[in-house]
Amino acid sequence: MNMDKYLDVINACRFCFMCRHLATLAAVTGKEADTARGHALIADRIRMDKTELANADYIRTIYQADLSGSCRKHCVSSYDEIGLKLALRQDFVEAGLAPAAVSALAKEFTDVQFKVSGNGDMLYYPHPCIEAHQPEIAQAFLSVVPNVKVIDGGDCGKVLKLLGFAKESQAVAARFQAAVKASGCKTVVVSNPAAYDFLKSDGAMDGITVLHSSEVLLNSNLGSAAKLGKLTFINSDFLRNYQECNAPMDLLAKLGCEVERFGTNGEDSYACGEGSMPGIRLFPELTRKMVAHVADMAKRFKVETIVTPSPFVKHALTTYAPELKVLAIEEVAAAVKL
Amino acid sequence: MLPQRESYSYEMIRSELTWVVGDDHVQTDCSEKLAHSIDYYWVPEVWHDRGLKPQVPTFVVHPASAEEVSKILQIANTYKIPVTPWGGGSGSQGGALPMYGGISLDTKRLNKVLEIDPVSMTVTAETGIIMQQLEWEVEKAGYSTMHYPASIGCATLGGFIAHRGTGVLSTKYGKIEDMIMSMEVVTPTGEIIKTLPVPRHASGPDLTQMFCGSEGTLGVVTKATMKIHPIPAARKFHAFLFEDMHGAMVAGAKLMTSRLQPCVIRLYDNAETAKLIKRVLGIERNGSYLVFGFDGEEAIVDLQMKKAVEICKETAIEDLGTDMGQAWWDHRYKFFYPPYMFQLPQAFGTLDTVATFANIENVYWGMKNAVKEQFPQATFIGHFSHWYDWGCMLYARFIIDNPPQDAAEAIALYNRIWDVAIRAAIKNGGVINEHHGVGLKLGRIMKDLYGPAFNVLEGIKKTLDPNNIMNPGKMGFQGV
Repeated sequence: MNMDKYLDVINACRFCFMCRHLATLAAVTGKEADTARGHALIADRIRMDKTELANADYIRTIYQADLSGSCRKHCVSSYDEIGLKLALRQDFVEAGLAPAAVSALAKEFTDVQFKVSGNGDMLYYPHPCIEAHQPEIAQAFLSVVPNVKVIDGGDCGKVLKLLGFAKESQAVAARFQAAVKASGCKTVVVSNPAAYDFLKSDGAMDGITVLHSSEVLLNSNLGSAAKLGKLTFINSDFLRNYQECNAPMDLLAKLGCEVERFGTNGEDSYACGEGSMPGIRLFPELTRKMVAHVADMAKRFKVETIVTPSPFVKHALTTYAPELKVLAIEEVAAAVKL
Repeated sequence: MLPQRESYSYEMIRSELTWVVGDDHVQTDCSEKLAHSIDYYWVPEVWHDRGLKPQVPTFVVHPASAEEVSKILQIANTYKIPVTPWGGGSGSQGGALPMYGGISLDTKRLNKVLEIDPVSMTVTAETGIIMQQLEWEVEKAGYSTMHYPASIGCATLGGFIAHRGTGVLSTKYGKIEDMIMSMEVVTPTGEIIKTLPVPRHASGPDLTQMFCGSEGTLGVVTKATMKIHPIPAARKFHAFLFEDMHGAMVAGAKLMTSRLQPCVIRLYDNAETAKLIKRVLGIERNGSYLVFGFDGEEAIVDLQMKKAVEICKETAIEDLGTDMGQAWWDHRYKFFYPPYMFQLPQAFGTLDTVATFANIENVYWGMKNAVKEQFPQATFIGHFSHWYDWGCMLYARFIIDNPPQDAAEAIALYNRIWDVAIRAAIKNGGVINEHHGVGLKLGRIMKDLYGPAFNVLEGIKKTLDPNNIMNPGKMGFQGV
């Protein structure tokens, strides 16, 4: 089984409580099962009794996991609790036990073809997130960095990977890689941190540099963003916890923004389940709860405008808390381009 | 007789519970019940590890207000089903284990910070809040709770109150019972009561302190008002090495009896210094490692530090300096993460014991010798981590690297070691325990520990909880 590769994680996490405070979903459900410990206990039960792989409660819990990565990042031993959950999802799929809704969603993301348009040395991949059509983000980026080719068509394999469809994910990634290769570009720029993470890990391409849009904007000709007023920053879990990319904060600092970190600390995830993007389709009520938690904090701390490098965060917040004013980091840059 | 899952009585109770908290907040699924079957107590861990069937609650219920807690307890009284409060579930004594099934009352939706009062310097919060989240909220307002236990990330405020928890800065700022001003409690029969708003008064016995340490046997604490403190301008540490634990203890006791006010003192015996200090901090020395710190206004910190250093230099064999003191502070929680913390397949227990300075070394040697003589397969190590004007706490541990594979044999051995060590501690003037609580693990000791005074505790329990629904079988109280 795929989960067997994570025996060290199971043994370490099954009786460990040390990252409970960073369990993003558990913070809003209150459920013990929604913690890294809860997930490791489930994995351990399955390890001891393979018939438990078919336990519908366990399957649902593992698919509901938010995968924010905060626990792994702040564990002093960096146990890969994310890898364990993805391995479990893969085991469910390979055993034909994936829930029908998961399989249906996976099918939607399997039949993807990519096409390249435009001219330039860099290839921009604007695909935003799981379901949202967010043309404003790509428009904002292209208004600052116009001379690029654009590749589009759908998700490059990350969603399938998150759903546990590893083989299908690699097949889509291969199609994406072929399109990139045909474009002749050696640099791919992405706005979606999920794609950024995928293209730097499972979907990495030999000889191709992958950048987040904020890394490119950091070197663009931009003016001061002080006029935008106080901005409150919600980071992407993929950028912060998975890839340790600080470019968005560096960009905001360079723009002279008055920026405050959202929330009470620098360890919690406020990304509303970005790490498990398909969750917004499969378990929208959980995304709604995570958004409500963020919206409540925004109200208590009198947040005016939220800025985020994550299209998913913008989509989730604007869908379930439309009273919040949310800007993508590309939109901030576009507002101050010279 | 508890309702079985496939029975109409089960469905009747489930319906009533969902009417109180909503469908989403009454859990009966395998995932949540499994997670509520194991806390930080070694016995359920080994039970799980050996693949045995877990003892799970019938329902996991997540209330979001004192009123909802009250209604849940009223339902439990009607049907006479046990209720086991569950905060973070990180207690090491089995206090949160649903040993008779029934309702596991998970408090984590009671997680709001209600008020920060900068004039009186207090915070009022619901007690299901994870302590680290409360600390972060208070810090955002410019203060600190100064409650920094290793379990800060996993335990709830209510959990600390329930078992009289403590943090690493307790030597200056006190244990949780010193930090609490007042509380709201839902009694076992469902009344919502408030204790007096200040902790110092002469209006009779102190109900706040009575509920502190009651481990959910006398009701559910739903709100608490706690002291908060300014962020100190300076916090400095210094470490010394002593030839043995006795020399370090003499120095540590002198720091306290000279009435200096360290925020922390921690003394590791030679065995822990060789094992844990080396492993976690990378400091490799033969002897006993002592670290202490002061915080507050910098000039006062420096003055107290100077006096403390002078005291330690009288008998220390090496001045390890400030860096090796600061390293301890920086990594203070690392000791409790895997793989630094003891874990299965090892059997291990923490025999935390408090005693006066006159008795504490006798307690240490009494326990150590008893374990060594009767259980040669066990290693005994310890450190002293919460210091008072009159004594300190011994955080002793026994470790067996290869306990029996059979769960029953392993648990029997584990319990025998506990019994021998605890009775040795009590015989030498120790009190079991200082901050982990009693729970299931130590319940059998309570009558010996208290003597006839335990009848008073039992009388209070019977008066407040006539149907014995609240956490039965814990703290030495009657089971179901």
